[in-house]
Amino acid sequence: MKATNVLMAGFGGQGMLLAGKVLAQAAMAKGLQVSWLPSYGPEMRGGTANVIVCISRDPIASPLVTRPDVLLAMNLPSLDRFERSVVPGGTIVVNGTLVAREASRADCRVVRVDSRALAQAAGNERAANFVMLGAYVGATGVLPEEAVEEAIADEFRDGKEKHIDTNLAAFRAGAAAGRRAAAASEVHA
Amino acid sequence: MGHIAIEQVRCKGCGRCVVACPKNLIEYGTELNERGYAYVIFKGSPEQCGGCTLCAVSCPDQGIEVYNSRDRKVFVNTTGLTEVMTHYCPGCTHGVVHRLVAEVLEEMGLLGRTIGIAPVGCSVLAYEYFNFDMFEAAHGRAPAVATGAKRARPDRIVFTYQGDGDLASIGGNEILHAANRGEKITVIFLNNAIYGMTGGQMAPTTMPGQKTTTTPFGRDTADTGQPLRVAEMLATLATPAFIARGTSHDAKGTLKTRKLIKEAFEHQAANRCFSFVEVLSTCPTNWGLSPNEASDWVEETMIPYYPLGILKRPAPEAVKA
Amino acid sequence: MSKVLMKGNEALGEAAIRAGCVHFFGYPITPQTEIPEYLCKRLPEVGGVFLQAESEVAAIHMVYGAAGAGVKCMTSSSSPGISLMAEGMSYLAACELPCVVINMMRAGPGLGGILPAQSDYFQATRGHGHGDYQCIVLAPASVQEAVDLMTLAFDLAEKYRNPVMVCADGMIGQMMEPVEFRSEGRGPPMAGNDWALTGCEGRPRRIVNSLHLAPEQNFAYNVRLKEKYDRAAREEVRFELYGDGRPDVLVVAFGTMARISKSAIDDLRREGRRVALFRPITLNPWPYAQCRAAMDAMPEGAKVLDVEMSMGQMIYDVKLAAEGTRTIEFLGKAGGLVPSPDEVAARIRALLP
Repeated sequence: MKATNVLMAGFGGQGMLLAGKVLAQAAMAKGLQVSWLPSYGPEMRGGTANVIVCISRDPIASPLVTRPDVLLAMNLPSLDRFERSVVPGGTIVVNGTLVAREASRADCRVVRVDSRALAQAAGNERAANFVMLGAYVGATGVLPEEAVEEAIADEFRDGKEKHIDTNLAAFRAGAAAGRRAAAASEVHA
Repeated sequence: MGHIAIEQVRCKGCGRCVVACPKNLIEYGTELNERGYAYVIFKGSPEQCGGCTLCAVSCPDQGIEVYNSRDRKVFVNTTGLTEVMTHYCPGCTHGVVHRLVAEVLEEMGLLGRTIGIAPVGCSVLAYEYFNFDMFEAAHGRAPAVATGAKRARPDRIVFTYQGDGDLASIGGNEILHAANRGEKITVIFLNNAIYGMTGGQMAPTTMPGQKTTTTPFGRDTADTGQPLRVAEMLATLATPAFIARGTSHDAKGTLKTRKLIKEAFEHQAANRCFSFVEVLSTCPTNWGLSPNEASDWVEETMIPYYPLGILKRPAPEAVKA
Repeated sequence: MSKVLMKGNEALGEAAIRAGCVHFFGYPITPQTEIPEYLCKRLPEVGGVFLQAESEVAAIHMVYGAAGAGVKCMTSSSSPGISLMAEGMSYLAACELPCVVINMMRAGPGLGGILPAQSDYFQATRGHGHGDYQCIVLAPASVQEAVDLMTLAFDLAEKYRNPVMVCADGMIGQMMEPVEFRSEGRGPPMAGNDWALTGCEGRPRRIVNSLHLAPEQNFAYNVRLKEKYDRAAREEVRFELYGDGRPDVLVVAFGTMARISKSAIDDLRREGRRVALFRPITLNPWPYAQCRAAMDAMPEGAKVLDVEMSMGQMIYDVKLAAEGTRTIEFLGKAGGLVPSPDEVAARIRALLP
């Protein structure tokens, strides 16, 4: 497996750092090398927050990636800022709830999900981050979905168990949308 | 009755004992000892000396031993101090306060359990004089060093010995926060209203109008503020503490200060609270006064501004907690 | 032992406990605050002491007190805070007290910024405070290595009775990677010694002091310290050599920057280019001879590229290693910007024959 570098970006508070941690955790559980590098600059406070997750069979050299294979863009500023950096043939997951415009990269697979609607349907409005993660995992099969589900459940142990089911439901809804998008040449889910 | 033995080589001829003796049995000498000081002489007879020990209590140099009528020593130099002769100027009372601390620790059986911390300033060499484990700390940082040592060894007695430049100026933050955290340490704070080691500059505790090398026209409080009353300042903290001020300028005050120092260490030994004893002391050299004039200056100028007594004791409920 | 995904700062905190450190004194500063935040919860669980000091100045002197009292102790900070600790570092080294100081470097000078940098290299390797003293400086390039080096740091601190600095940057502190702790639970306390202040019951009294007014005595003491640093230089040098054995370009970089350079080197080697990385792990003592040997193995005319997250600080050591035999090129960024693998690769490419 070639190394996969995933850039996950959004407003602070949208949960992209947590979604990234779950992805890294799941990959680690599958015996892969991982790194999770957050932006921690001033933009963290109320601005955009992003995290780069690297997944690889080999030891990860640079955790800092300027040309990601995958972009999860939770908002318009993130898409504007990072869209051009994605490698040709890469994957861009766009949060259709907040991003009105289409992605402009014809050489990438673009998956568009209405993360808020799917999260609400799953019973947890705040789980849009896991809808996005689900869409990515569903569309690419980067990891088995069960591995990610296990990592999500682990994340909400120790007193936060009541959130497990809705977050899992959100992830599954996203994954289903991602699979559909991958199956169809039409990439709008 | 009694008599005294003056160890000539230790005597710096400051004459504090001359003033302390209620029967005027000690006089200034003219012979020089090997260190160049004109040592004092006991001129009384055993019938005259009451063995009251006030001369020894006043001596900053461990130079006097006192015997009663049965030739029994009634004033014994403490084993809490080494034999090393101090570098302090004649009439400086650092030596007196060193002795009080050492005596109290010896009396309480704590010498083997004590870690002391010397500051930067005149008492920088205190580690040569105290006869137990000693740190030498950076300028003003003694309360932080004491915090580290006490947290590492909570069953030991940890104290700092600091002057006014060290504690009230550069170390203002460290003392404030050690006190506010209620560190179970004891702080002995020598206030002589001046920087001694560097040759007589203004300290935060310098009196209004007092001439120093950096206030040659006298301290102008409109420009440099009022003398800092550290004990009062620390006493305002809500954290339980023992805060007191004594003096070392005369024998009577010294004996009272000994009680304060003892109570301070008792609070620490009981793991009760932060304890702090400010001790007014003399700096004849940098004040430009004779030793006994310096004592008078403490009495007339410092004590009215820096009143003596206990400013704060831990409340009984805090003692229980 | 199984791997856990941990943030660098938290992993360092845990590693300190596994190394036997149970006393921490520190003051909050980004990007290392997770170290005290982690330890304030964890230390009480192992019977340790956590104390938030009123300042970095106080924190380092609390370390001085605790180290002098013979316990394994540490502090952590980031660049501006380390500047404030300079005084205490000098005293700790002067009194030969073992302790560990972490610097999670951020951009400077002045208040600078909170993003990662390597601009405290001079500060770390050339002394922080006054006087002829040195610190052993360890520079991890990953969270796992940071964990491993913490144990080494405490061991070296004790072996040499000297402060040891673990010099990483904000990126190592903030990133999460899988780590494996090679020991269980709280590590061993400081070994028995004949210098710590514990109360003199039953033995001659001891003094921890750095005042030596007589110049001859002070000189002799400096000579003794220097002998100790020389011994460390002989025995403790650590480095990594990665890539081609006879490279056309040798990159010299440490910490995060070495890791980023590795990506560039991997890309170029896949293209069949002969490139290598020399990575000092001990920034002091610096592996001069080993770096020189790597340079001597290069073909005639081959280039050396020093890459740093600074305006060029370690490059002076690289030049010392080369002793004029090679031209040393430089690529660096400061202020919180980090040269990317592409930038490093482009620069290497330009130097290739």
